[in-house]
Amino acid sequence: MVSKRFIAKRLLLLGPVLFGVATVVFAILHLSPGDPAIAIAGERASQEFVEQVRSDLGLTDPLWEQYVRFIRDTATLDFGESYQVRRGTAVGDILADRLPITIELAVLGQIAGLLFGLPLGILSAVKKDTLTDHFSRVGALTGISVPIYWSGPLLILLFAQVLGILPTSGRIGSTYFIDSKTGFILIDTLLAGNLAAFQSAALHLVMPVIVLGVYSMAFISRMMRSSMLEVIRQDYMRTARAKGQGAKTTVMKHGLRNAFIPVITIIGIQFGSMLGGSVLTETVFEINGIGTLLVSAINKSDYPVVQATVLVFAFMYTIVNLLVDITYSVLDPRIDQ
Amino acid sequence: MSTKTHSSDVERSIVDRIRASPFLTELLSNRIAVAGLSLIIGLFAVAIYARLVYDLDAIIATSFGSNPTEAAPSAQFWFGTDGQARDIFPRVLYGAWYALKFGTATVLASTALGITAGIVAAYYGDLTDNVIMRTMDVLLSFPSLLLALALVTIFPESLGLWRAVAALTLVYTPRFARVVRGAALKVLEDEYIEATRALGATDPRLLIRHVLPNCLAPITVQSTLNYGLAIIDIAALSFLGFGANPGDPSWGMMLANGVEKGLFSGAWWWSFFPGLFLALTVLGFNLLGDGMRDALDPRMRDAVD
Repeated sequence: MVSKRFIAKRLLLLGPVLFGVATVVFAILHLSPGDPAIAIAGERASQEFVEQVRSDLGLTDPLWEQYVRFIRDTATLDFGESYQVRRGTAVGDILADRLPITIELAVLGQIAGLLFGLPLGILSAVKKDTLTDHFSRVGALTGISVPIYWSGPLLILLFAQVLGILPTSGRIGSTYFIDSKTGFILIDTLLAGNLAAFQSAALHLVMPVIVLGVYSMAFISRMMRSSMLEVIRQDYMRTARAKGQGAKTTVMKHGLRNAFIPVITIIGIQFGSMLGGSVLTETVFEINGIGTLLVSAINKSDYPVVQATVLVFAFMYTIVNLLVDITYSVLDPRIDQ
Repeated sequence: MSTKTHSSDVERSIVDRIRASPFLTELLSNRIAVAGLSLIIGLFAVAIYARLVYDLDAIIATSFGSNPTEAAPSAQFWFGTDGQARDIFPRVLYGAWYALKFGTATVLASTALGITAGIVAAYYGDLTDNVIMRTMDVLLSFPSLLLALALVTIFPESLGLWRAVAALTLVYTPRFARVVRGAALKVLEDEYIEATRALGATDPRLLIRHVLPNCLAPITVQSTLNYGLAIIDIAALSFLGFGANPGDPSWGMMLANGVEKGLFSGAWWWSFFPGLFLALTVLGFNLLGDGMRDALDPRMRDAVD
């Protein structure tokens, strides 16, 4: 049974957390030494013009007034206009363009991680302390130790430059023009009914998803292994075997279901490193998601874009963890007590 | 007088506990942990060697004229040369010193801040606890690399890699604070704390001499796990352009230059060797951390049968 009280409690906590997150972002931007007025007016603008811009931006108002305005704007999802990256465009519009790109990448990476991580973890647990186990454990640890900004370029070198079987960077071949309906390129190409474009987009995603997926694969297989080891020792597993059920069926039927529950929490926590990893992956593979957006906005002192991007990242992370907690409570009702 | 006797008793009991604990034996019989430890010892040796033997200015300076540019690895230049005609081999070795120096600074600073926040929160409870821990919760709601990216902008560019250290310190502090608070809450329930307080020990004395030493085990594990993370994150910030200055022998910076300028024109060695050393270093800490967790988690030990 789903505990309504637990879900209500988690939802109520969401407000203060998001409020805190917005406050931290406000504080960071006000502690930054850069001057947004100069960023807008340009380095060579006259002193008067800079002052004019500053008061237009409301930066001469008392700090608490700026803070109240910031919180109000954030709550109504009004992030202002970009100074530099796309001057004059509403930041919300830029995010709407770029966000699906990052979500597509992170979700596919997470799926790849689950597809490979779960079987690897189960195998490791069932064959504990054998060569298979050592191999997969060290393999998983190696996976999280190799930096994306090293493995990514090496993969490009091998598969794109030397073998020439995968494209180097970007999201789709330059000959395709696909209407952006959902923003997710795999879905958009399918909606357009253009299979050649779909294939091109899919091939472009192979390497980014691999470097990102290896990360989550390593985390998930480690968690799955220890969780499975715990479950294998339980009495009901012995009972199942005693009544004559095969080892494989017992592990898959009774073991997997129970061992999977703790793994779900890891997926939530680890989604944060997927988002961080997506910044690096997008940089390496020149994908125009919100990761590359953030890096270029910081470089160009485009404060509205920086604050909105950081807020969106934190928001996604918080929501994913909320969903994970709720899933957890549905699967394991004891969590309420 | 009596306080003194008491505290030396406590100290003796800690020593006994550490000796009696199967942790070290367990750790050293764990092949994964030993492999990690070997990698880390090797890294320390390389770092100290590089620090003592090479002159930093000579490594940073360009060497046009005396060396060829972008020369492939050879008997003369083991790891080849980069676009500024610098010999990559000593730079990669010096990178180990950089990684350890800035990694250690990050871990030490965040451990110290985390211990302070965690112990104060646990001891004073109520409002103090709530204010500190809710702040930590908010900081934990950001994906770590992204919070670091935002925080890096607060510090002036002239700080170089110390910018990355400062930003990551703030990012990691909440993790230590949580671990320490949990451990301290448990210790504070012990009777000898009540006894020490009754004997008139001041708050700072109680916390530093009695509570802290009993929280050291979880702190050590958390520090080890965070060490590798700190090194890889500092390099990541440098790679994205928010850390090392151009020319610095930091692995992240070398990777950024090598990938951008050398990799696809054929000079793969420019980024390959710094990346390899970085990966091996992080692997070392991850192996050790994993082994530590195994050794500390009694459930895993029982699960062996």
